[in-house]
Amino acid sequence: MDKLLHISGSPHVHSDESVKKIMWSVVLSLVPAFLVSVYYFGLPVIILTLVSIGCCVLFEYLIQRYMLHQKPSVDDGSAVVTGLLLAFNVPSSLPIWIMVVGALVAIGIAKMPYGGLGHNPFNPALVARVTLLIAFPVQMTTWPVPTPIWGFADAVTGPTTLGLIKEGGDLTQLPSYVDMLIGQMGGSFGEVSAIALLIGAAFLLWKRIITWHIPVSFIATVFIIAGIFHMANPAEYVNPMIHLLSGGLILGACFMATDMVTSPTSPWGMIVFGCGCGLLTIIIRIFGAYPEGVSFSILLMNAVVPLINKGFKPKQFAH
Amino acid sequence: MEYIIMIIGAVLVNNIILVQFLGICPFLGVSSKVNTALGMGAAVTFVMALATLVTSLMQKYVLEPLSITYLQTIVFILVIASLVQMVEIMLKKVSPSLYRALGVFLPLITTNCAVLGVAINVTQQTIIPGHGFSVIDNTLYAIAIAIGFTLAITIFAGLREQLELVEIPKGMKGVPIALITAGILAMAFMGFANLV
Amino acid sequence: MSNSKLNILTKGFFKENPTLILVLGCCPTLAVTTSVVNALGMGAATTFVLLMSNMLISALKNVIPDKVRIPSYIVIIATFVSMIDLLIQGFLPSLSASLGVFIPLIVVNCIVLGRAEAFANKNTVFDSLLDGLGMGIGFTIALTLIGGIREILGSGSFLGFQLIPAEYNMLIFVLAPGAFLVFGFVMAAVRYIVNKREEKKKHCAAE
Repeated sequence: MDKLLHISGSPHVHSDESVKKIMWSVVLSLVPAFLVSVYYFGLPVIILTLVSIGCCVLFEYLIQRYMLHQKPSVDDGSAVVTGLLLAFNVPSSLPIWIMVVGALVAIGIAKMPYGGLGHNPFNPALVARVTLLIAFPVQMTTWPVPTPIWGFADAVTGPTTLGLIKEGGDLTQLPSYVDMLIGQMGGSFGEVSAIALLIGAAFLLWKRIITWHIPVSFIATVFIIAGIFHMANPAEYVNPMIHLLSGGLILGACFMATDMVTSPTSPWGMIVFGCGCGLLTIIIRIFGAYPEGVSFSILLMNAVVPLINKGFKPKQFAH
Repeated sequence: MEYIIMIIGAVLVNNIILVQFLGICPFLGVSSKVNTALGMGAAVTFVMALATLVTSLMQKYVLEPLSITYLQTIVFILVIASLVQMVEIMLKKVSPSLYRALGVFLPLITTNCAVLGVAINVTQQTIIPGHGFSVIDNTLYAIAIAIGFTLAITIFAGLREQLELVEIPKGMKGVPIALITAGILAMAFMGFANLV
Repeated sequence: MSNSKLNILTKGFFKENPTLILVLGCCPTLAVTTSVVNALGMGAATTFVLLMSNMLISALKNVIPDKVRIPSYIVIIATFVSMIDLLIQGFLPSLSASLGVFIPLIVVNCIVLGRAEAFANKNTVFDSLLDGLGMGIGFTIALTLIGGIREILGSGSFLGFQLIPAEYNMLIFVLAPGAFLVFGFVMAAVRYIVNKREEKKKHCAAE
């Protein structure tokens, strides 16, 4: 295991024990957001999350055991994190079989062909989410309206905040800032509550599992560029606060972009990475076909991580 | 402004490798080192701009007036092949250092379908709406397309340099894992869909 | 037909499959495999060019001076490509529309020039014919395999017959990323099988 995880350029992961600790801390940090989602979207959230985690773990075990002939290492918890993050990135009305396909993509395409944890250049949960978005554009963009009563959440569907903006809909229908902060809005079920996600992120920062560089530079870039557009033409471009609180920005910036395997190693590299994510996110949100650009932008920046690492060598290699 | 839109479209939205599937051979073959990828990109940019300029002129002043456009494929490939030869000879004479840097890539470019593909494509579509067939527009478009080519192979070379360092499962080693990586990269590039 | 002749024909099918083993002609493999019909059309057109150019080049191998052989090959290949291009435009306009620029681009398909240089200029006309046919069939097999998987997963159909209801179709497989992913996995699978068979053969020979 130790040998497997040693790759030049990502000297974070050192031993089985520390991988485990990190992974389970990430899982713990996502619990508040999970609880809020259950409150707003009910039973489907629990079912989809369990299916996603279960399938990720199962596929990883089967591939390691029967295709790679390795000793299965599913107990490191990385498949659980992937499954959890993948589930957080889908609408609660998603059919279960699509969730299974997503888990297969995350593990079978984005992770195991590269040899497993620590080898994959792209974040598996994001690869799966983008695949599902392109493969099932209808099912992946049917958003149940949050109703803080148990069950029956999938009876009514409505647009997400960003979808409303993209389609040029009635902007007076946008949720209030308070609603967006606590999570009373349409969207992928794990991304709705900004406050619960920030609590989780604070926990990870406190545990020193993530550093501030990527989340802060990512979110600040989105805020500043959206602010410039808003000041130039307030009628056409919405308030930057809306960009900040809607869609998957906080989930992406704090939990997905910070994935240590697929992000740069040096502090300056991380800041470049975060700014790049922010810039691409806002470009795709304002000009692109898709209302949300967070997942695409993180994947695109994942691809240039080797080049960033070339430009900003980690300190321990410098003379 | 229309030129900026054309360039963004050619570099990102309709990226020649990841969206149009032209020039896959050098993409898979040459791009295992970032420096080589940059060299290849420079050579392709040079040849593609020159080739599109010459073939567009041929199309406008020779093939169409004589109504022999059915000879397009033969004429274009001969033009490209001789251009590459000429560039190679001239480069050797004029700038030996540049020749050393780009020389090895030049013979490969003759059979790079991206060059012929772009030369044919620009004769079949209007590059900037309302401009008609313009040799200058075509050449600028070819340069933008070549920048997109360079961008894609450089990013990809970086990824492959990193993959060299880890142990890829036996069955996936080499081209298969490169194709999977390219697939995920193409997926990420779909985020640029309808940007312009 | 003697065993060695048969071998010239069949080696292109799997063992030396131009696309899946030798990794030649990747651009059309990725671009036109959105459906089985397109794959078959492209395969047939390429096979025609490969067959004709291999035969002609082999027949002229003592006439063409060595120094200008590559340009001569390109002219010969381009002539056959133009012929098939115009034929398809005339008789199968819908196929011509969906294959688009990739028909004229057969000129720069590395398989065609590669076989001319590696086989046709050293062997007899008949052997070159067999080689061109075998390589063409191998290319068609690869395209059809990839095209079949992409059409079934992406459009839920095979040769246009709907097999899977539309709500279960995964659009991504008829788009660009699906092309790369399916090609990658098919290549890995075929290489695995071919390696296994070769190992088995070696094993038998050793015993």
